[in-house]
Amino acid sequence: MRPGIAALPAIVAAAIAGAAAPARADDDKPELQRMRFVERGDDLTVAIAPPGGIGKLFDAAAYEALGTGIESTVVIRIQITPQDSDEPIAEQLIQRSVVYDVWDEVYRLQLDELGGQKKFQVKYRAEALKWLSAIEDLPVARLAVLPVGKVFVLKMVVELNPVSKQTLAEVRRWLSQGAGGGLDRGGAFFGSFVSVFYNPKIAEADRVLRIRSQPFYRASS
Amino acid sequence: MRYVLSVPGRLTLLLVVIAIARPALAAEPAQPGQPPQGAPPPPAAEPTPTPIAPAPDRPVPQGPDDGSPDDIAGMSHSDPDATLHEDNEFGPLIQIERIDITGNTATKTTVIERALPISAGDVLHSSDRRLRETRFKVLALGFFRDVDLAIHKGSQRGQVVIEVHVTERGTRVLNKLWFGTTDLSPGWGGADIGDRNLLGLGLAVGGGFIYARQGGLAGTRSQYAGELRAAISALGGTRWGASAAVTLVHGSEPFCAPRNGAPPVCAFHYSRVGARVGATYELSALTTLSLGLRLETIDATLPAAPITTLADNTPVAVDLHLEPGSSRVVTTSLGFDHDTRPDPILPHAGSLVALSAELGSSLLAGSYDFATIFGRFEHYWPVRGGHDALAIKLTAGVVVGDAPRFDRIYIADVDHMLTPRALGLVLSTAAPLAILGTRAEKPTYGDLGGSATAEYVFQLFRGSGKERVYGGDVFIGAGVWGLAERTDLRARDTGFVASLPIDLYADAGLRLDTDFGVFELAIANALGRLR
Repeated sequence: MRPGIAALPAIVAAAIAGAAAPARADDDKPELQRMRFVERGDDLTVAIAPPGGIGKLFDAAAYEALGTGIESTVVIRIQITPQDSDEPIAEQLIQRSVVYDVWDEVYRLQLDELGGQKKFQVKYRAEALKWLSAIEDLPVARLAVLPVGKVFVLKMVVELNPVSKQTLAEVRRWLSQGAGGGLDRGGAFFGSFVSVFYNPKIAEADRVLRIRSQPFYRASS
Repeated sequence: MRYVLSVPGRLTLLLVVIAIARPALAAEPAQPGQPPQGAPPPPAAEPTPTPIAPAPDRPVPQGPDDGSPDDIAGMSHSDPDATLHEDNEFGPLIQIERIDITGNTATKTTVIERALPISAGDVLHSSDRRLRETRFKVLALGFFRDVDLAIHKGSQRGQVVIEVHVTERGTRVLNKLWFGTTDLSPGWGGADIGDRNLLGLGLAVGGGFIYARQGGLAGTRSQYAGELRAAISALGGTRWGASAAVTLVHGSEPFCAPRNGAPPVCAFHYSRVGARVGATYELSALTTLSLGLRLETIDATLPAAPITTLADNTPVAVDLHLEPGSSRVVTTSLGFDHDTRPDPILPHAGSLVALSAELGSSLLAGSYDFATIFGRFEHYWPVRGGHDALAIKLTAGVVVGDAPRFDRIYIADVDHMLTPRALGLVLSTAAPLAILGTRAEKPTYGDLGGSATAEYVFQLFRGSGKERVYGGDVFIGAGVWGLAERTDLRARDTGFVASLPIDLYADAGLRLDTDFGVFELAIANALGRLR
């Protein structure tokens, strides 16, 4: 391989990787939001006041999509960890779904949260959005798992219309399949690949938010 | 195709990898412990810990209750990996009156209709999983940039019209690009291109051509090979698919190493013309069974008594595994493929199992009686919450009987540090690196072979695609490969370990997933050709 030609892939890789580097920070870094933690009975509840919260999950297109009649789902995964550790001491999965009834012209909601499942309907899209995105006195953990005086943080990953891993595998499977019946059997079994084509990618969710609370602790009563 | 990097190229790549990997590896610095009393103060960027407030005297808000008997209380969601309510449908019951497909200008409507999991007349909840899956079933065709669904009122109450709006994309593909230079061929080049949706019919077509200029090895000649392919993944909307390919190879193949004492002619000429037809059946969305039939004629001009010389100049006869003159290869094959990797380009989870068996027989009017079995297994374990991954990759093959040379396992199939065949052409005579000090004279072709690789994958970055890049990984791997003729295993004149036809290889590189293609820049292949 001539050196000039040989260096070309490295230069291309450098250019691609360099251009993509800012995306890493944008996509992975959790956003710090001020949250209000309240002891309510045996539970710890959390609230986020505007302009914080998860409302930014919905851009204009996602908001419009609420009225298409196709289900929209928000999945909120919550972890509470000691401030100096990634090991969760409490976890919650919250799922909120809405579907527009085109005949009755109402939004039917289903909320799966700590304490049970709730189904109800609202008239207006903005109201549906509020129920999907409100973080208001949300029970997130039993107080018993939070020792007094120890400092914790709450981490929240919020996904709009998450896609299961099996569906992702199915959608992208054509990428790993050959064009059919060629001679390079050895390559198919043993080789690697490089391919140039228009390559749209289905994300694991329409939108993802990563949020982190300020540190908090239980004061002794 | 594997790119080959020169030393400057490799250094550039390594610098890029290191520069980008460092911040990625330090993206989540550990926070110091921070008890409220008697502890060091928090970092400047970290807000001061706040105490949990006591409960105010107001009730927790509840959603308005529509009085529906569907209300189910007491569901626990303490497990973050709990299954979503896939089968717990809600929303109105609707009947699909009609399905309107819009936005397709090149792709035939019937091609899209066949992919839909719903049809007119179906009665379902508007949150039914089939409706959610519709978007992905259409996207899985690989012809569209995006797919949107909407439900509109039908002609009567309860009836609806489903609108499936597609946004088309280019489906032309550059599958492979071959170029390089070795002692066997001072220059070769070629490409494999295709269209995954010819004339909007859902038919994938493609073809490749490579030309390799003659080198200095006596007996060789300039080589070329071409191939045309066509495939359809779903015949008439069924689970059956079909494929066909024709190939032409005009080559010459070395059979001995050019060294002192070697015979004056170390290569022979051959040509191959073949056709393959196949059928596939989707056992499930992730599992495919395939059947195939291959007809091929080989014309080979073979030396009367081919010999090679060992390192000590001992001449030995070489079995070229070909009939002199004209011969036929007729085979049937069976394949199985199961791929659960959510992302086959930058895999961090899931597994791949591929098995293939091929049987050639004089009963099918062929000149060779043989069978081959190949297997491939890959499994990826997410590490550090899926940020990195550990992979095990195993490949193995066995050839039984009188298989023609081209159906045997080639050394570059198992040693990734050598130049692989391109459209069947051998492009290099480089010997494998001897790292373990095992048997020096390893065969170029064998009937038993395989490799086992352990690979660690570092996630370099993930993007949303706004920068035209979805993600990049750096991988480091090492493994053992082996290739042998069974006859060599039966008779050996050295100790057991020294006679083993195995050795080590290592690989490292960069994988990139972009909206204009996927790339793997691997160093192992370059190392193999720098000698």
